[in-house]
Amino acid sequence: MWVYILRRILYNIPVYLGILLLVMLALRTKDPVWAFLGKRKSVADHDALEHKLGLDRAFAVQYVLFVGDVVTLSFDQESWGQPGKTANELLGDAIVPSLVITAPALLLSSLISICVGLISSFYRGRTPDRVLVILAVLGMSISFLVYIILGQYFGAFILNDKVGHRIFAVEGYPDSLTPFTWWTYCMLPVAISVIVTMGYDTRFYRAVMVEEGTRDYITTARAKGASKSKIMFVHMLKNAMIPIITRVMITLPFLIGGSILLEMYFGIPGMGRRLILAIRDNDFPVIQAFTAVFAGLYIITNILTDVLYALVDPRVRLS
Amino acid sequence: MSEPTATRTESRRNLPPPAGPILKVRHLTTSFRTDDGIVTAVDDVSFDVFAGETVGIVGESGCGKTVTVKSIMRLLPEFTGIIGPKSEILFEDQNIATLDESSMRKIRGDRIAMIFQEPMTSLNPVFRIGWQIDEALKYHTDLDSAGRRARAIEMLELVQIPNPEKRIREYPHQLSGGMRQRVMIAMALCCEPDILVADEPTTALDVTIQAQILRLMDELKKKLGTATMLITHDLGVVAQVCDRVIVMYAGRVIEEGPVHDIFHRPQHPYTRALLQSIPKGGERSRKGADGKRPRLPAIPGIVPSLRELPDGCRFQDRCQFKEQRCVDEEPQLIDHGRGEGSEVRCHIPLTDGDPRAERAAIVGAGGLGDVAGATGKSEEDDV
Amino acid sequence: MVARFFRSRGARKFMANRLAVAAFLVIAGYLLVAGLVWFTGIITLEETLGRIGASYQPGLWGAQRSGKRIEDATFWFEVAQNAADRGDFETARGGVAFYERRLTGELDADEIKARVARGIALAKEVLVVEGFDESASVLPKVDEIDAIVVELFPHPEGWDAFMYGARHVLGTDRQGRSISFRAIYSIKVAVQVGVVTALFAVLFGSFVGAAAAFFGGWIDHAVIWLYSTFSSIPYLVLLSVLVYMFNDTSVDKTLIPLYVAFGLTFWVGPCRVIRGETLKIKELEYIQAATAIGFSRTYILIKHVIPNTAHLMFINASLLFIGAIKGEVILSFLGLGVKSGPSWGIMISQSKAEVVSGFFWQIGTATVLMFVLVLAFNILSDALQDAFDPKHV
Ligand SMILES: Nc1ncnc2c1ncn2[C@@H]1O[C@H](COP(=O)(O)OP(=O)(O)OP(=O)(O)O)[C@@H](O)[C@H]1O
Ligand code: SF4
Ligand SMILES: [Mg+2]
Repeated sequence: MWVYILRRILYNIPVYLGILLLVMLALRTKDPVWAFLGKRKSVADHDALEHKLGLDRAFAVQYVLFVGDVVTLSFDQESWGQPGKTANELLGDAIVPSLVITAPALLLSSLISICVGLISSFYRGRTPDRVLVILAVLGMSISFLVYIILGQYFGAFILNDKVGHRIFAVEGYPDSLTPFTWWTYCMLPVAISVIVTMGYDTRFYRAVMVEEGTRDYITTARAKGASKSKIMFVHMLKNAMIPIITRVMITLPFLIGGSILLEMYFGIPGMGRRLILAIRDNDFPVIQAFTAVFAGLYIITNILTDVLYALVDPRVRLS
Repeated sequence: MSEPTATRTESRRNLPPPAGPILKVRHLTTSFRTDDGIVTAVDDVSFDVFAGETVGIVGESGCGKTVTVKSIMRLLPEFTGIIGPKSEILFEDQNIATLDESSMRKIRGDRIAMIFQEPMTSLNPVFRIGWQIDEALKYHTDLDSAGRRARAIEMLELVQIPNPEKRIREYPHQLSGGMRQRVMIAMALCCEPDILVADEPTTALDVTIQAQILRLMDELKKKLGTATMLITHDLGVVAQVCDRVIVMYAGRVIEEGPVHDIFHRPQHPYTRALLQSIPKGGERSRKGADGKRPRLPAIPGIVPSLRELPDGCRFQDRCQFKEQRCVDEEPQLIDHGRGEGSEVRCHIPLTDGDPRAERAAIVGAGGLGDVAGATGKSEEDDV
Repeated sequence: MVARFFRSRGARKFMANRLAVAAFLVIAGYLLVAGLVWFTGIITLEETLGRIGASYQPGLWGAQRSGKRIEDATFWFEVAQNAADRGDFETARGGVAFYERRLTGELDADEIKARVARGIALAKEVLVVEGFDESASVLPKVDEIDAIVVELFPHPEGWDAFMYGARHVLGTDRQGRSISFRAIYSIKVAVQVGVVTALFAVLFGSFVGAAAAFFGGWIDHAVIWLYSTFSSIPYLVLLSVLVYMFNDTSVDKTLIPLYVAFGLTFWVGPCRVIRGETLKIKELEYIQAATAIGFSRTYILIKHVIPNTAHLMFINASLLFIGAIKGEVILSFLGLGVKSGPSWGIMISQSKAEVVSGFFWQIGTATVLMFVLVLAFNILSDALQDAFDPKHV
């Protein structure tokens, strides 16, 4: 087991180094300093800024230094777009708002989708299943952005209007986070995110359950006299954990991406919003630091996925 | 079921065998809803199983053997598999064809147990062996967890798995195919069922393991007095272990009788063709007059599709004795005066007499005698 | 290969699925419209960017309140007044600026000015009335204003009438632009983005995946490393970096950044799937036999492996098409996508402000057009999967 985990970690190190390499190269395809300064500034200004960031050194040196920054988690270059703040500080400010949206969204959407998927597979081929499948496909065919726009309109404007007082804020983020302010500012984005991912997820979980339902071991369990609920919640669910874990982990980057959209739209000062604003401002140090962190988070979830596999599947654990 | 299992075994063993059959199947008809309409896979099948005996079910692939036993176990896919309204499955005079699911659960695994063809996939890969045997005991006995554990170990010992204390903590993928099938058998027998249904239990295993498993099943059957329904493609096995044989063709029983009769004096042309098409174990090395091995006769033609069954006898397209009558009217499964529980579904059943001479007259050189040789047990019975 | 594909059992099963065939026809319809826009120029980029009337006009000639009607009339008065002021009636009469609705040729400059003055005076009278939008007393005046507009700009006839109707049928957006034409032009943009990215990603990904599995060894390792790396960057982050690369470059205003962004992220999916499938096919007996007989490996790859993965390529292509269309919307909203001209993404993003004031025609049109296409692709890919790959989860 420990050997297995170690192997997965070792395997992911070159992948992560590769990502850093690709990202750094991509960000240097044009001169980032000129892109930020614009043509009006002098060559001396340019060179000064370039030197300050070490962008005038050989690429290999920059790469090694940046990998060092990543390992020690010290992105202490000053942001160009927000002078006076380092990339590290911006990161620290942005993590909590991102997490309070992403984590509940992931949890809720997975739980609800798994349940709906189970229900759907239970009624396979009959009316409830058909209705759910059709709803899922219809839901999947509408753009995320439409959900957000209409969700905000009906969830915030219309609902507040009808009820007479504010249930959900139209946009923004609370100065101090309490369960109450969380509900006001974050519940609507979370709900929208859950609804959007549900179409894909229920279909997937249904397919997984239906597939597991046709396996031989199910017949064996029935032949033993196991009840339907025992079969569904004990035999099937434990086997289905492998695809479920994969799915949840695959949803993560989508949620990070999706939360970029939600953060932009609802004005939540999370990591995604910071990154997009940095790109608009040509804020090179922040872009570089944030992409490295995003990719790092993703790699960590990959490793976690593998570890979870091993926990549920003895064939992985004991091999 | 309140008494401990061991005692129950004793009491059951000491009972004299009950007079009537323990399982009576009457007019069993099973259909499936498919994309292109309803197909009837098993059509008006009737037979009996007596306590302690072994009944073999043989027939070509797709003739409905599995569907028949799955119907008895009520393990058909829900909503798509339908047991016809006239069907009766009388288990100890209770019609389990219409029994509600929760009462049926009490019978499954406890009174009637089943083992499957694919030991590789029939065990749940993510649970320990011990857990899986324990599950069956939990549903059907009142043993506490220590008692169930002891029973599981006892069962694994019974099926000759070495080191059972260690094995119950292992997962299916750590066991070989033969081991897994032993575990399946242990699981099926742990509640001492009255009937054990074995659907091609050895097909997926290699030959030496096959023999071991069959011997094991035979021993256990004798020890525990369980009636067995054995589905297999291996007629040699049938000859060795079965008391009676049911031959199926295209969803129907076409011949039924004591194993000796079926092998020595088959009445249905299909049965006889089937017997001729098996490789003869004992004869493998014997060469024909021309120095070559006798060619394996295959049954010409193919099984009719369940959707396009002919009106008359279902075997007519492949039968060399076909007459107009066979096309016009389907024969009934009846006793043509032979007695001994032999019944056949044919207008012109093959007559008694020396099967060798008769066959020589029809097919030319072949080797039914070889099969007769394989049914040593039955011959002894005859003497 | 194509013939073999259509003779297969899967193809027949697919044709039997009526819903799937309908979806296929819908997609063909969209492709046709895109082709028409592309080749005949029936709708030009300029037409999607110019004003055609007052802002926020509801579609399907929905009942308008007096304020909106006056706003629309004022728009036409301005057009006529400008023409008269400049003494240039040719542009307005030739329909160059406002397409089918042309300034009448029967009135001279003074007459035009007089009518415009009268119309504007009437409008002022109405606009001072308290609650003119709801008031019935002003209706005769509003009707007269409309009559003046029709006098100045008679309704077009024939083909022009059809085009005029089509231009106005779904109303106008906040800048008074035709929603219907913008939405239809966006079909072209969507199909362009979808076809280019799906084609590139599937062809490139499949080729790399098949080659990796088939030749094995270091090629396989390199490909696995490459796609693990690519798939370990969250999709939107990679897109963002790529878009940053293209910011302010010469291709910034074209669709090329989108193509590159989608192409680079999307090839991973087909590559993985085809690699897995090829590994399976490689073990099949007839492939092994072919290898044993001594056919060259490239020959086997092209002759046996690729045709046997064709269904997976189709399925992946339709999934990627959906991905591209939906990705365009998100990127356009973030200001990283389409930058010149309309697209569904641009339309939906712009409708943010309109929705708040209760105007749904733009978001509705773009959403419905996109919904139908994406739904058709969803149904198509499902049906393909059912027909050719029934075991797939
Ligand atoms: N779930 C199902 N849906 C539709 N048809 C089915 C289903 N299960 C079995 N059948 C059909 O019923 C017929 C009998 O199948 P069955 O599995 O009983 O054959 P079998 O005699 O056990 O064959 P084999 O020796 O290959 O196991 C077949 O024609 C099969 O196509
Ligand atoms: S009934 Fe006729 S066709 Fe059928 S098996 Fe008997 S002889 Fe052959
Ligand atoms: Mg079978």
